[in-house]
Amino acid sequence: MKASQTAVDHFDAEALKELRPENQLGKTALVLAAVCISAWFSNVVNGAPLLDALPGMLILYAMVMVGLGIGRVFPFYLPSVAWVSLISIVMTLPVFPGNEWILEQLAQVNFLAVVTPVLAYAGLALTGREFAMFKQTGWKLVLVALLVFTGTFIGSAVVAHILL
Amino acid sequence: MDLKLLLSWRLHLTVIVTSMLAEWVGIVRIPLGPGTLLLLPLLYAFIIGVLLNPHLFSGMGKLIPKPVSHASGPIILIAILPFIAKFGSTIGPAIEQIIAAGPALLLQELGNLGTMLIALPFAVLVLKMGREAIGATYSIAREPNIAIISDRYGLRSPEGIGIMGVYVVGTMFGTLYFALMAGYIASLDILDIRALAMACGVGSGSMVAACSAALVEAVPASKDELLAFAGASNLLTYATGLYISLFIALPITEWMYKRLKGNTPAEVRHES
Repeated sequence: MKASQTAVDHFDAEALKELRPENQLGKTALVLAAVCISAWFSNVVNGAPLLDALPGMLILYAMVMVGLGIGRVFPFYLPSVAWVSLISIVMTLPVFPGNEWILEQLAQVNFLAVVTPVLAYAGLALTGREFAMFKQTGWKLVLVALLVFTGTFIGSAVVAHILL
Repeated sequence: MDLKLLLSWRLHLTVIVTSMLAEWVGIVRIPLGPGTLLLLPLLYAFIIGVLLNPHLFSGMGKLIPKPVSHASGPIILIAILPFIAKFGSTIGPAIEQIIAAGPALLLQELGNLGTMLIALPFAVLVLKMGREAIGATYSIAREPNIAIISDRYGLRSPEGIGIMGVYVVGTMFGTLYFALMAGYIASLDILDIRALAMACGVGSGSMVAACSAALVEAVPASKDELLAFAGASNLLTYATGLYISLFIALPITEWMYKRLKGNTPAEVRHES
């Protein structure tokens, strides 16, 4: 119980709001450039050489910034993830001008290689509180959480399987 | 957060070296019973990251000072966005197939109610948890779900502690767990692979990423289709998930919790 309490302390709604990427576009633009460079290098091993993947990475960078910009000025709140994905969908629709060229460039960026650095950041970001939580009573919640994930996944898959 | 820390060359260089090493090791397949466990580079990247974390081994502070490790937290939110953009680009070209699968895609959102069907009885009857179980099991515990619990019960309530616990577990292990589970279930070949792709869409960005990547590795031939379905499902989760968890999932969880507690009178006496 005590350990979970620290998890609550750790979650500060105000802090999270401050960190929302669309609320400080300038800072986000720089950090985004840094993480894109990480993904760009990560892509070299199983994706494409640096120069070949450059246009694709720049397109991804632009899509994210456009998505965040729209999220910033739009009158109601949607998570930035939703905006970025919407922009990307629209830009790759068959009716969008130049969509074939965009897809060709994006094909140089390996799907998995872009996620690998995210997990490296995640591993480096864990704090003492989170490690402490797992040493103490966290095991019950870990067990429950894994059941929750399994239940959702199988529940959704079974419904979709029946309807397809 | 200080920009100097966010742009720390130590942090980003460490991540680049870690990622390239993980990519170089590549995908490892381990046969397990009737299925196969898929180990993806993102798993190795996470493990290397944890091993280099200065909060776990203080000696690592020389490589990554603790303030830099703290700066890495908000960076995750931004680092996932290029991936989301790459992900969206699989939906656009496949828009016709997605519209054709429309009803299945919409209704599988109801499958999210599967969260509490297994987990709630286990939490209440086996682990003897109290109202924490409601917060922990009513949803997949991502940010919108936390907002609901915070609004309804407050985050320092038992329900709030429950959801925060699952949230932290999801952040730490959710991505890996989804990848392992999805790859394994796909290799069993019981459910339609497209249905599994839609089910991948229930999680947060990185969960969806790992989950659908694992499916693609299991069935490389249908790569584009699978990514498109997972992405579309994730978008719908963002659009409708909030309402389903607020108006359907939470009331059902409350009701089930009361029934489960009612079935164990000894426990009720013990608590009161």
